[in-house]
Amino acid sequence: MMGRLRSKRRATGQRRIGETGELGRREIGVFSRVLVYAVLIGFTIMTTYPIVWLAFSSFKTTQEFQVNRLGLPRSWTLDNYPHAWRIGGFSVLFLNSLLYTGVSTAAIVILSLAASFAFAKLKSRATPFLHGSFVVGILLTLQSIMVPLFLMANATHLYNTRLGVLIPYTGIGLPLGVYLCTEYVKGIPDSVIESARIDGASYLRIFSSIVVPMARPVTTTLAILNVTSVWNEFMLINILVSKNSLKSLPVGIMKFSGTLSSDYGKQFAALVIGMLPMLAFYLVFRNQITKGVSAGAVKG
Amino acid sequence: MVKHSKWKTEQRRAYLVLVLPAVLVYWLVMAFPTAFSVALSLTDYNGGRLFSSANPVHFAGLAHYVRMFSDPYFWIALKNNFYIILISVFGQIPLGFVLAYILFRKLVRMPGFFQTMIYLPCTISTIVVGILWQSFFSPYGPFSEFMQRLRPGWENTLFINPRTAMLPVLFVLLWMYTGTYLIIFLANLQKIEPRIIEAARIDGASEGQVLKYVILPALSGVIVTSAILAISGSFQSFNLIFAMTGGNPARRTSVLSLYMYDNAFRGAPDYPLANAISTFMVIISFALILATKAIEGRFGGRE
Repeated sequence: MMGRLRSKRRATGQRRIGETGELGRREIGVFSRVLVYAVLIGFTIMTTYPIVWLAFSSFKTTQEFQVNRLGLPRSWTLDNYPHAWRIGGFSVLFLNSLLYTGVSTAAIVILSLAASFAFAKLKSRATPFLHGSFVVGILLTLQSIMVPLFLMANATHLYNTRLGVLIPYTGIGLPLGVYLCTEYVKGIPDSVIESARIDGASYLRIFSSIVVPMARPVTTTLAILNVTSVWNEFMLINILVSKNSLKSLPVGIMKFSGTLSSDYGKQFAALVIGMLPMLAFYLVFRNQITKGVSAGAVKG
Repeated sequence: MVKHSKWKTEQRRAYLVLVLPAVLVYWLVMAFPTAFSVALSLTDYNGGRLFSSANPVHFAGLAHYVRMFSDPYFWIALKNNFYIILISVFGQIPLGFVLAYILFRKLVRMPGFFQTMIYLPCTISTIVVGILWQSFFSPYGPFSEFMQRLRPGWENTLFINPRTAMLPVLFVLLWMYTGTYLIIFLANLQKIEPRIIEAARIDGASEGQVLKYVILPALSGVIVTSAILAISGSFQSFNLIFAMTGGNPARRTSVLSLYMYDNAFRGAPDYPLANAISTFMVIISFALILATKAIEGRFGGRE
């Protein structure tokens, strides 16, 4: 059995070498191959099992869960979902999350790209200082601005307003945005911009009809990175907003941690509701997300 | 000549229009608050209106820092931050590297599938992850069930016992963020010219020698930046711990950010102490920025 498997692999391994000039699977022995698969499959089970367990548990009644914690539901019920939806007030939370994510992501992309165009292509003595101030922001911890932001929101009466959430969300996304966009816009040839200048185009015109379309790859990456981080943001909105009608999804889900945690069925349903949008987003955009993570993270 | 100066003014005006919105929002939301917090940490300001005669603010020097350093909870939080760095440096980073290496060398089929699955936890909101694992490790969760099948009569005191409460948190951090390092390493491995590896193999280098003499040197810069990322990540571990344990039992699973949050927003506010804590974090962040710059200089640029 093992031998047959091995020879089959060997054949595919050799084909790969022929095709791509790379070293393939034939390089390692049976033992190593089993080990390698064991590591990866083990890891995959570890990452998915809790999520699968959560999904199954959300279809059990709380009574059933207490006697059957691990297995599949014996009688499937959908009741947990409408209950959790109503208790959590998810309709409002969803709309708020969509609004916060959409508006701040759009603002981050537009402001970052505009500033980056100026930093990369217009000469100014202010650029090193201004651009540098954004780069420093990439490593600043958000925790260190919590107290001052809270005080400022109170002083300016932006506490408990949507604007009071959107401005900070836009601001904290700008450092990475400006950094990534500037690197990208630098790669646009100067000649493209100069010839447009000679043709009489204004800088704003060049921005909107040359830079914006040419920077599509980087703005896509940036938008995707911000959608995930803003959608999941919890810490700032938790202190900037106390009205239920302004809260976002993660803040609403937190409610199921304390007082409602003994009502397991509803808690699990709420967690699934909180998890699904980003899971779907990830499965659709996984290539762009992983590209963005490797671009954004190491640059920190 | 006239035309030239007209061009210049136009360029200057365009620069302002393009740069100003981003600079204003960023400075208002991040740069100013950071400086504001550092300034407040040196005063006794504890809420109320600033710059009003009814609420005068006094210079307090380093008194709040003395208070911070003599608070046992500060040291507990700092120790936990340190544990989180350790789990990153000795857990997430090596594991992420091993997994990335396996996928890079195409030692398995379906590398894309494994990559997608291992990165999966990173995309879920940390609040959901925290509550999910709180249930998972709780006395009614699967972990207790497994343990009771293995050892009947086992009692789950994970979250009650101050000495073990941090273990589930560290495990979840490993579960959640190994995928990030996998992706970072994989992206950088793919930048290595395949022909170099091939040439080394043809010259008779073993798999281990290729790893040691070709791959690891090419990744040294990324490994160091990952370690820095791990340190700054440990400061940002607020959400998970907030949702999973809330810092309990008896604040034994607190970290610096949660320790600051507790002082500012839970119970009677103590803004001066909270500002001192956040200044402490800012100073470490700046040290990290300088370290990154130094590494960039040594390894020739960010990769």
